[in-house]
Amino acid sequence: MSRRNPRKSSSFQYFLAGGSLLALVGLLADVRTSFEARPVSNVCQDVVQPQSVLSRDELSQVLAVPERDAKATIQAIVSDPYCRLAPVEIRQGVVAEREVYPLAFDPHTWFVLLYEGEEYAGYSFVFQK
Amino acid sequence: MPDTPSCFKSSQHSSQCLRLQRFGMLAIALLTSASCHPSPPSIETRRVHVQQGWELQPGHSIAGHPIVAGLGDVSIRLRGNTLYAPFDGKVEPADVEDCVVFSSPTVPAYLLRLCGLSRPRLGIVKQGDRLGTGHTVHFATLRKQPDGTWAIVEPSLNLIETALTPP
Repeated sequence: MSRRNPRKSSSFQYFLAGGSLLALVGLLADVRTSFEARPVSNVCQDVVQPQSVLSRDELSQVLAVPERDAKATIQAIVSDPYCRLAPVEIRQGVVAEREVYPLAFDPHTWFVLLYEGEEYAGYSFVFQK
Repeated sequence: MPDTPSCFKSSQHSSQCLRLQRFGMLAIALLTSASCHPSPPSIETRRVHVQQGWELQPGHSIAGHPIVAGLGDVSIRLRGNTLYAPFDGKVEPADVEDCVVFSSPTVPAYLLRLCGLSRPRLGIVKQGDRLGTGHTVHFATLRKQPDGTWAIVEPSLNLIETALTPP
């Protein structure tokens, strides 16, 4: 005849309680998302025009300009940017400047323009949470 | 005979033991559901049309042997070390075997094609994240052209150093 061992039964209960607690933590805090890359939120090197936004009309005009056109062509369409990102060198010996415009109709989305010297290289969208 | 907790003995299931076992099974189920998230949506292959239409380039083969790098690729002996994301960005499988494409929304008009990484990390990455390891990585920098193609250009030393240096 076996008797209940109070110490082992108690350990078993602790084990269950610990496991349940871990499960709860796992449900409430997804460890993997905690380490996921976040969208760029504040990478401006300097803010140029805090009120600057890009209208729908300006956006459609910029999108119609082909890459490698003159920087002046773009600047004739847009006003001062909201901010500039730090210059980067992607091509050897060529410094790229990047200007940021929040979209007027979706301020959480940034429109990024990249110039190399007097040449317009391209654009992209940065979606911020 | 070693004494085992009575809850493990089927002949002695008390109502408390049943409750505990159910509780334990629930805990295990919860743990499993918490740790086994549905796999992320598959990342689609990025097709990159390189402007320079050389005959010998990655993805091609000659005399039955695959070409792993071509003109414009900078081949770096990693010796099993790690390549890091130079910017926040995204890694997608390339339409060339053994290659991935790295792009960053904060660096418009440029792509990096990285060939030779073993088990590269795909998806969203943050600057400094590990992209993968390998013995030799072939590093191509591509700049967008007005016709939608991508031209291989000379990468800056700083860019490559950033990708090779732990954060």
